[in-house]
Order: sequence, then structure tokens, then C-alpha cells
Amino acid sequence: SMMGVYDDTWRPRRHHFDESDELPLLSDECLAMMVERECQLWPGVPYLNRLQTGNLDFGARREAIDWIHKVRSRFGFGPLCGYLSINYMDRFLSAYELPKGRVWTMQLLAVACLSLAAKVDETEVPVCLDLQVGESKFIFEAKTIKRMELLVLSTLKWRMQAITPFTFLDYFLCKINGDQSPLKSLVMRS
Amino acid sequence: MLILVFLFKRSRFLFPLRRLLEEYKKACLMEQYEKVEKIGEGAYGVVYKARDRITNETIALKKIRLEQEDEGVPSTAIREISLLKEMQHRNIVRLQDVVHSEKRLYLVFEYLDLDLKKHMDSSPEFAKDPRQVKVYVPLPNSMWHCLLTNSLKLADFGLARAFGIPVRTFTHEVVTLWYRAPEILLGSPHYSTPVDIWSVGCIFAEMVDQQPLFPGDSEIDELFKIFRQTEYVGKPQPSTICANIGKYGIVLLILGTPNEETWPGVTSLPDFKSAFPKWQPKDLKTVVPNLEPAGLDLLSRMLRLDPSKRITARNALEHEYFKDIKFVP
Repeated sequence: SMMGVYDDTWRPRRHHFDESDELPLLSDECLAMMVERECQLWPGVPYLNRLQTGNLDFGARREAIDWIHKVRSRFGFGPLCGYLSINYMDRFLSAYELPKGRVWTMQLLAVACLSLAAKVDETEVPVCLDLQVGESKFIFEAKTIKRMELLVLSTLKWRMQAITPFTFLDYFLCKINGDQSPLKSLVMRS
Repeated sequence: MLILVFLFKRSRFLFPLRRLLEEYKKACLMEQYEKVEKIGEGAYGVVYKARDRITNETIALKKIRLEQEDEGVPSTAIREISLLKEMQHRNIVRLQDVVHSEKRLYLVFEYLDLDLKKHMDSSPEFAKDPRQVKVYVPLPNSMWHCLLTNSLKLADFGLARAFGIPVRTFTHEVVTLWYRAPEILLGSPHYSTPVDIWSVGCIFAEMVDQQPLFPGDSEIDELFKIFRQTEYVGKPQPSTICANIGKYGIVLLILGTPNEETWPGVTSLPDFKSAFPKWQPKDLKTVVPNLEPAGLDLLSRMLRLDPSKRITARNALEHEYFKDIKFVP
């Protein structure tokens, strides 16, 4: 289900840019910097080990991701928003131990991460309370969500501009295309 | 104390206690900073000059209120902080720390004792060679990068304008109005990095001319500035023209009223009115008389009404005007 978040087709949902004023492509020196930053902004190998050995509640994590995926499509948030939510969640879980045996904490974490990701990436974000759709077992007060947001933000040291595959997409498509601007159709397909 | 530590270690089950202790730690952290005076105020909060009690350093504290429960942590705060976290450059104001409680968020910045306006006022030679100030390069993720030179720092990312140009007290709305790109003013729902180039162009002209290029502290005042600057309008007749021009007058005036020919698509922008008076473009030279030809050329490329015709930051850096300047990466 982790792939589920990424595998839907790329919809350029915001037609912000005309052909002529698209954002510039990454330059080569930027690329190196981005790769370096990508390494800093992912949960790390020990976390993957914990997931594999079942040291971490894998089922709860998957449920949370499914929920994020549902809500994301309900509100028409883009794929990057989903990716960021999960990046935040994994990085948080790798640095902070949620109390065991309390299912709601994982759900609260999912709400907070999605809310944060939407605020970072989306132009229109519903208030936290309205995010809680998609038959979740727990509904949290706005105050609780805010508190959780703060906990996630400080645990992740406010580094919310994660580097994702989307960062590199244009660059590599451009390289494949012989240093021409990537074709729209190619971007869509990937 | 030992018991507390013991409890804390076992507190995987004591989530609330652990949180309480964290809150307490944060409250102590805030004690570290002592407010000296208020230096600015913006839509999102107040900026203080403050002192770090431990290092005795002077710092700037930006307070952001978190009282809006519905919204959670404001997106502008998240974006500002997370962008600053990724940018370490000697020409970007350094964010040293972020401290929060339930109700407030404090951003701890290095203290800058001069803003651009004060710097301009204090060193008149500055205007003769504003090239030492370089332009923003928008990167993907709309990150601003590669900025100004030795003497200047860039501060204030989109929130309280307290680091911006706090010479006089304006409302938030007005200050941003001076540097706001025409596509935003005309209500375009989609805009991009060219709006930053527009702002840079306005500030560039202001640095050369020692006065704002498109100032207006109210719609009417802006209107009267138009009347003063133009020969096309003649004697002011506020009752008739006021209704037609609104606050967009001054931008349109100097560059001429845009039409489908000069800016394809402009007439379908939400706030475009076909009743806008049709002003002819005015030569920029008469607006910014102190600028050498290369600078004027660059400025005119930054201040194109049509965002798609505006120069990009990367091309601006390659412009002839900067040819003998060494860039600091």
C-alpha cells in the first residue's frame, strides 16, 4: 500500500504555469546538493530494520497510510502531498517512540502529518477538523492536532522541505531527452 | 529527582507526563531570551530585539501567535521556517532557533541592525553602484537562493514584514502593494516566480533612486501620484477617473495600460476592466534618471507587465549589468 500513494497517474492539478514561465530546471550543482539533502531527510536504515523485524507496529502504520491516501484523494491533494505525509510520519517514528498499545496515537500522527504536508505543498487546505474524513476510528479536537503538529515539527527539527523523487523527475527526464526541456507527455507518464 | 527521571524513562506509557516535562523544558528555554524592545509588527506577530542571557548576544525574536485553533500551526510559519532551515548563506538572515509553547512560536534570528532603507540612507555611495546587490534565483520549490552580497542580508520570508522595510509604519497591505506584481493586482489566480522578479525590480529602482518606485499609501493617494506624474490625465477629476483606475493606476501608467497585444490574456484576468484609461507607456528613463543604460535595460526587463516576458533570475544574473561582478555562491 505504500506504493498505492505513488502509483496514481500524475495529474498536474494546478495549471499554474504556461509553457513559457515554468519553473527553471535544476542545475547540475544543485543536483549534488539535493542528493546530499535527500540522505539527511529520510528515516534511515535502523528504522527500516525495525519495520522489518516487526519491532514497530507495521499494521498500524499501513492503516495510517491507507487513511492518508483516502483523504488525499478526497480533497484532490497532489501525489507530492501524500509522499511528504509519509516521509514525515516515518521520520517521526524513527526518532520518537509512540506509547505502545494506544492505537489512536498512530491515527493522530497521520492526521498531523497529512495536515502539515498539505500546508507545505497545497494552495488550499481545509481546517484540521475537516481533514478527518474516511471512516477513521478516532476524531481529534483541533487543539490536540495542533499539539501533535508541534511535536512533529520539533521532532523533525522543522525540516519539512523533504527531497522526494518528484524533485529529480524533471532533471532526469531532461537528461534523457538530450538536455531539452522534458516533454509534458513524458512528465505525465512518469 | 531520581524518581522523576525513573518515571520519565518509563514514560512510554505516560505520554502526558512526558509532554508536560517537554513543555516545562520549553518554558525554561524561553527564559534564555530577554526582550529589549519591539522593533516591528506584521500581520502574523511582533518582532522584538532581544538578548540571549547565556551568550549575551543580541538577537531578533519573531513571535507568531498560535491562538487560531482551527488552523493549527499556520502554513506561512511552517513554510518560512522550513525554507530558512534549508538555506545557509551569509546573505540570508540566519534562523538560530525555534522555540514554541502551546500558544506562541518564537523564531530566534541573528540581529541585523540595519535594514535596506537605513543602509541606503547611511551610505550615499551605495546608490551609485547598487550592483553589489544581486538578484534572487528561484529554484524549484520556489526556494530563493544565491542572493545579495557582503553587506546585505535577505530577511523576512513572506510573513511579518518587520525585517522588510520598517522605516515608517504602514499596514501590511500597503507595503506589499508597492512591490506587488501586476498579475497579482489584476487578480490572476495563477502566478509564479516572475512575481519575485517584479518585486526585485521595484526594490532595484528604489535603491538607485532612493525612493520607492510605485508607492501608494492608499488608493486615492496612489491616484493623485498618477495625476502628478502624468501629462496624459491633465487636471485631476477624481469623481470620474477614480472609479476606473482603482489601485492599479500607477503600475499601468508608467508602463502603459496593457492590452491583448502587449500582454496576451490580460483582458480575461478577473480584475481587468476594459474601462481602464488607455495610457501610453512612459519612458522608464524619466522615472529612474540615475541609472546607467545597462541597468536601465535590466530594470525594464524586470518590470515587464506580462510575466511571461519578464526576465528570469538566471538570465538577470547573466545580464551585462553584472558582467564585472563576482558572484558569491
